[in-house]
Amino acid sequence: MIYSLLVLSSPCSGQGSGTALRFAESVINRGHQIHRVFFLDEGTLAGAVSMVSPQDESDSVQLWADFGTQHTVELILCVSSALRRGLLDSSEATRYEKTAATIHPVFEISGLGQLVDAALVSDRMITFGG
Amino acid sequence: MVLHTLNAAPGSTAFSDCLRLLKQSDILLLLGDGTYAALKGTDGCSELKNSGAEIHLLEPDARAAGIVDRLDMQFKLVDFDTFAALSERCPTQQAWY
Amino acid sequence: MTPSNNRSLLVIVRHSPYGSSLARTSLEVALSSATFEQAVALLFMGDGVLHLLPDQDSSGIEARNIAKLIASFPLYELDNLYVDEAALSQYGLALSDLPQNLQAVDDEAMHELLCQHDHCLGF
Repeated sequence: MIYSLLVLSSPCSGQGSGTALRFAESVINRGHQIHRVFFLDEGTLAGAVSMVSPQDESDSVQLWADFGTQHTVELILCVSSALRRGLLDSSEATRYEKTAATIHPVFEISGLGQLVDAALVSDRMITFGG
Repeated sequence: MVLHTLNAAPGSTAFSDCLRLLKQSDILLLLGDGTYAALKGTDGCSELKNSGAEIHLLEPDARAAGIVDRLDMQFKLVDFDTFAALSERCPTQQAWY
Repeated sequence: MTPSNNRSLLVIVRHSPYGSSLARTSLEVALSSATFEQAVALLFMGDGVLHLLPDQDSSGIEARNIAKLIASFPLYELDNLYVDEAALSQYGLALSDLPQNLQAVDDEAMHELLCQHDHCLGF
């Protein structure tokens, strides 16, 4: 089956973002395809490249990035949620005259249309919130 | 058949909203703070059991919460592979949090 | 895109309108689905019914007016709107107090909505 995930949980609070990642890995291990992971609202912080995790916690940005690279899964950050949290790719940084890109390069910034499209092509849409 | 995922403690509005739409034919997976609803002898626990739904809880979250030895026997501890398998069985999922 | 691979979406709004960014985000998801001509329905459940209060004036809190956003829904042909009737009465509201064209639903009908749609996005 084709799956897409909607991640609303912040990687800094609660288990939602980490739960989504481990669920995604299990879905792939069971032979399914993940079409896209769409990060929205607080969930977009999953792409914050400048985030520094405490030494006794895992680096959630890198874990998501490794997952995206290893399985060639699209990791999309909603543009409006991302911008208001200071998350910019290099083209947005240039456009808004900010000094640097702040998202991990494996993530992409795009609009809600990518969520709608994911729903259209996926057999399962699983949401992670809280 | 709906897969409900509940990530909120009993007493929250998420918990009571979930309970209203949880039918006998549905599956409920408790995760995060939702796992506390599986504590033996609590009101939340009996309310969930009265729904007649199939109820599971995510083992790593229950272990983190320190409740593994206090669970109602009717609730099944599951891993992420089983979570994925539950999602295969249910065409739609509703996240409560 | 053929109709056979068009999947219907149910967006469930359960949080109050100004307490978090989540609420507004959920409405934007519904609007965006309608813009892309995706079959979409919106259910206001629990505290989500507070979105529907007609006299919202957010000018004093530097936030965009949610009631105005909802009033724009018909322009986008976003008109499958459902409301949790138990939550309405819990807040002392009646369907006739609300300007939108809404369908009141009980628990049974809400569960039916979950089953009828291909995907559910819970906010």
